[in-house]
Amino acid sequence: MVTLTHYIVLSTILFGLGAIGFAVRRNAIILFMSIELMLNAVNLSLVAFSRYRAELNGQVMVLFIYAVAAAEVAVGLALLISLFRHVREVDVTRINILKG
Amino acid sequence: MDLYFWIFAVMAVAAGLFTISSWEPLSSALGLLTVFIALSALYLHLHAPLVAIFQVTIYAGAILVLIVFVLMLLVSPGERMRAIQENASYRVMGGILGLSMLGLLAAGTKGVSDLICARSLPQGFGHPSGFGDMMFREYLLHFEVVSVLLLVALIGAIYLAKKNI
Repeated sequence: MVTLTHYIVLSTILFGLGAIGFAVRRNAIILFMSIELMLNAVNLSLVAFSRYRAELNGQVMVLFIYAVAAAEVAVGLALLISLFRHVREVDVTRINILKG
Repeated sequence: MDLYFWIFAVMAVAAGLFTISSWEPLSSALGLLTVFIALSALYLHLHAPLVAIFQVTIYAGAILVLIVFVLMLLVSPGERMRAIQENASYRVMGGILGLSMLGLLAAGTKGVSDLICARSLPQGFGHPSGFGDMMFREYLLHFEVVSVLLLVALIGAIYLAKKNI
């Protein structure tokens, strides 16, 4: 019998993986992928709660998260392209042009 | 149907690990795609077919393609591509991805019975009609705000990606 707890634990593990990836990796594009992983973990918990409570609110909320994720990726990748034109680098530890 | 959950849960976690640990960003993207597909199968399990479809079309279809597109633009693999393709882990990941797609397809056509039940589901739970009804009645303001957000993101992305900034 699969219960709500299973889904919440899975969601937590995925969120943790995303957070670890965001903290450890240095390639900016992989950082974006880690953020997507975390957003997906949140979506999973929302849909699981929606099923648990037999209400559709969670699923509608997931749709809004999709829109926010799309906006985030579009702006983030545009920033990345703009930055890459200046410094020719995607390693975030070497991008220090804001340093005084 | 416990097995269904465990297959896709293990697949999602393994692919997530692969995503954050792989050396090559392109293999990372493949791992992320596998996570998306596995989660989409789990959404079918949770009586959210519409969300499962959105997961495949928006995440796997649009966002990931955008990421791979920028990846190719910035760090073009070129010659390294051959080395990646001959890498065994890449092929294993591709095999897992194909299997998960197959599983998703089978589950989608057969229909998955419910598992976690606190209360009984209303008729047609998660179908587009109820979904749209809720979205355009209770969440109409949110919907409009999101449309403005998308417009702002669109303009911002075009401006930021311009040549002379």
